Amino acid sequence: MKKLQPWLTFIARLILGGTLLAAGLLKIKNPSEAAASVRVYKMLPVTLANILGYSLPWLEIGIALLIILGIALKKSALAGGILMTMFIIAIGQAWARGLAINCGCFGNGGVTEDGKVHALTYFTEIVRDIGLVVLAGFLYRFPQGKLGLDKFVTEENDGNK
Amino acid sequence: MATSNSGKPDKGLRSTVIGMVAFVVIVGIGFTLISNHSKSVLKLPATVSKADGYGIVFNPTAKPVIDIWEDFQCPVCQRFEAINSTYINQVVAAGKAKVVFHPMSFIGQESVLAANAAACANDQGKFLAYHTLLYQNQSPTENSGKINSDFLTQLGGAGGISGSKFTSCITNLTYQSWTKNIEVDAASKNINSTPTVFVNGKEIDRKTQYMDPVAFQAVLAAGGVK
Repeated sequence: MKKLQPWLTFIARLILGGTLLAAGLLKIKNPSEAAASVRVYKMLPVTLANILGYSLPWLEIGIALLIILGIALKKSALAGGILMTMFIIAIGQAWARGLAINCGCFGNGGVTEDGKVHALTYFTEIVRDIGLVVLAGFLYRFPQGKLGLDKFVTEENDGNK
Repeated sequence: MATSNSGKPDKGLRSTVIGMVAFVVIVGIGFTLISNHSKSVLKLPATVSKADGYGIVFNPTAKPVIDIWEDFQCPVCQRFEAINSTYINQVVAAGKAKVVFHPMSFIGQESVLAANAAACANDQGKFLAYHTLLYQNQSPTENSGKINSDFLTQLGGAGGISGSKFTSCITNLTYQSWTKNIEVDAASKNINSTPTVFVNGKEIDRKTQYMDPVAFQAVLAAGGVK
């Protein structure tokens, strides 16, 4: 484990960071669709949902870059984990309320084309996001990994100790 | 307990990278928020006003009011158009309702081009004909490169629209800001998919009333279309 862990941290960074990066990049070109994707979850007043929808892709990209590069990893992993937890809550409540919407995680959000609730899709998305939260937790616990820019920064300097 | 590596702390590098990433994120958010704001000074197509959410209006004084949000690249809108446009066009022609078309562009740049061209056609009094032509010639893939100035101009020719005014309106993207204002207005009205139809300010039922012509005509009749 001791020898393996830095590599696991590296791989976890690539998966979590890569997923967030893809999610952000796929949405960034189309802000009005991204905003609609947030609105359909019906969790926020329309104005706030729009602001979040316009901002979210950039936040995802920012957090993704920090995680992939391995910068301030405890904090960036925490941010990634919080983001994923928010997504789980959003998807979970949409499912529970029977909203017929697409995740919109990677673009293409909005109301489902057939107007139906896709339970299996909701389930898969939640499982995926739980997996990503677990990765974020792993990174928080084991921030020292391979090929990370933080590798010369000691724990004391992480300000989190 | 993580291993303190023996190397020396490199706080400078870390701060630089954090600073750069934060800069990109903040500028990106700022730019997105600003560019998704309604412009108050812009060139509007004929029969468009802010009060109607920048939509293209037919029969402005008639009642009831039918609002249609659509995207010329959206396949479901194409289906909706094929099913209901004959009836909608009759309602417009007979002055039985105020009908407001909101051509959206959330699918991408080619939707902006198409919406702009539809507004150019509207200036020539040919919106409905051009509207139908856009759907009949919709590309099976979004933003495929099919919709460009040449294509949109030729489509006008097929609908009997020509002239330098129409052509320059398309090539200059005269109403680009207007297409953005439609998007912003739709966002503020919580329009989350296309097509979306409101009868007297209330959305009709997505599961049953869009794709069934009988149900569609019934809900319009219930709203007051005689």
